[in-house]
Amino acid sequence: MQASSAAIGVLVCGGLMACSGDGPAGDDLEGVRAALPMEVAGWRAVDDGEVYDSESIFAYIDGHAEVYLAYGMRRCLARRYIGPQGEADIVVDLFELDSAANAYGVFTHDRDGEAVDVGQGALLRPGWLSFWKGPWFGSIYAEGESEASLIAVNALAHAAADAISVEGEAPDLVGELPADGLDPRSVRFLHTWEILNSALFVGGENIFSLSSETDAVLGRYRREGGEGWILLVEYPDEATASVAEENARGGGYESRRDGKRLALVLKPATPELADNLLVNALGGAR
Amino acid sequence: MKGKRLSRRDFLAAGSGAAAATLLGVPRPGESSDQPSSRVVLVRHENVLGEDGQEDSAVLHEMLNRAVKALMGETEAAAAWRRLISPSDVVGIKTNVWKFLRTPPALENAIREEVLAVGVRPEDVAIDDRGVPSNPVFQRATAIINTRPMRTHHWSGLGTSIKNMIMFVPRPADYHGDACAPLGAIWNLPEVKGKVRLNVLVMLTPQFHGVGPHSYSPKHVWPYRGLIVGTDPVAVDATGARIIQAKRDLFFGEERPISPPPHHIEIAGERYGLGVSDPAQIELVRLGWMEEALI
Repeated sequence: MQASSAAIGVLVCGGLMACSGDGPAGDDLEGVRAALPMEVAGWRAVDDGEVYDSESIFAYIDGHAEVYLAYGMRRCLARRYIGPQGEADIVVDLFELDSAANAYGVFTHDRDGEAVDVGQGALLRPGWLSFWKGPWFGSIYAEGESEASLIAVNALAHAAADAISVEGEAPDLVGELPADGLDPRSVRFLHTWEILNSALFVGGENIFSLSSETDAVLGRYRREGGEGWILLVEYPDEATASVAEENARGGGYESRRDGKRLALVLKPATPELADNLLVNALGGAR
Repeated sequence: MKGKRLSRRDFLAAGSGAAAATLLGVPRPGESSDQPSSRVVLVRHENVLGEDGQEDSAVLHEMLNRAVKALMGETEAAAAWRRLISPSDVVGIKTNVWKFLRTPPALENAIREEVLAVGVRPEDVAIDDRGVPSNPVFQRATAIINTRPMRTHHWSGLGTSIKNMIMFVPRPADYHGDACAPLGAIWNLPEVKGKVRLNVLVMLTPQFHGVGPHSYSPKHVWPYRGLIVGTDPVAVDATGARIIQAKRDLFFGEERPISPPPHHIEIAGERYGLGVSDPAQIELVRLGWMEEALI
């Protein structure tokens, strides 16, 4: 689908959603679009932006759209800003997810960079700032770098975050990871096997039965001179968790289950480290 | 035969018997257990990119022909191309038009010029990427020349020569599982099997890391100024992967493995018989400027 037709479709869709109330609580996309300034720090918007849905996003983001779809992407508002002469364009992409937890999850998908104070969490790397706020994930991308564009990226990020009025909560599961030895910047919230593999390659077969129905949190631990990962998964029911536990053990993974939650240790430096990591997982002695 | 991408039967079937006889003289996977079985040419030129980052068409064309001559063991470019393509071929030049890092049109045109110089009719040559399934020339192609830039990729680890055939399948996302391990299977589809005569992996400004929704930042490309050329896509990609990995380690100041691991390269060789990935089995011919070659 072409972006322009997608945009037209969303104008209709936006109206319908406003009527039905089917959408994340808080800001609707048109409200965010209207609140986003057309000019910031000398960069001027080309137009008021294109809107992509779960189909048309493939035409906009080649090869990467599945990341956002895996986190319940509903729509994406994309607006390009042209800078003063000699300066590169800046692209603002605001993804509307189906929950704040998923906005947090997308944000944790790439945790490189310097923490900056935008929205409910933000990271700045060369040419790119990402943030999350409520059910929104924001990406501010400069196609070239300069001192002026860095100022504009920051200003646009703040403007975009200000255009979103609601806040949300990070997933509860994140708080369940044991603190001892955890590298906080390694923590990722995810659902699917593909996203797990892109964060930490485990293998081809989805033996942990991850799906859009599962919530999972991944964290890297550095303890006792070694490194290992804990994957904590919450399944929709105990039966699925039990099957996953069995498959994981069959695959040689250390695991521990409590009801519909399963803790797994991935790539431990030593068997002893695996045992020790499991002791604290799921909040109690093994 | 493992690693032998273009069989004698395939090539004869394409109506190029005389050419096949000479083509099969090129070192091939599996010919000898103690010799490199695939030849890959790395050619670089300091002046292929101007100060503005634009390619110098003449230099690029010269690099291409130099590599093809070395690959085919010929002293003349025309003779080398005639061993790859025959006048009766219908040739699809499979390019890559990703907006941030596309195959340079100057390279596409250079390949097209050489194909035409062999004697292929203009109406039997097409350059395409996303339109290949419906492109009438690709639909009746007897030969494919495969060219794309190397870059990191979110699902496959690397965008490779092997991966460049993904536009021949209706749902590319179906291949994203297991870090795109089954990409080599696409090369066994009728539209592709036995047709790829040459792979030109563009390493002019390769991308060694990806960030953000668009997986691109100008910070993560560098002017390597090279091409990697070969008939074995696995060997070509494995060679490119070594360079990308070396650049990542250098840039980040620590080991930073390509993620996810681009194991589709090795699997394309081992499971689908498309070539060899072991450097010990690859005869790497280096031509031209070799400063900071990383390999």
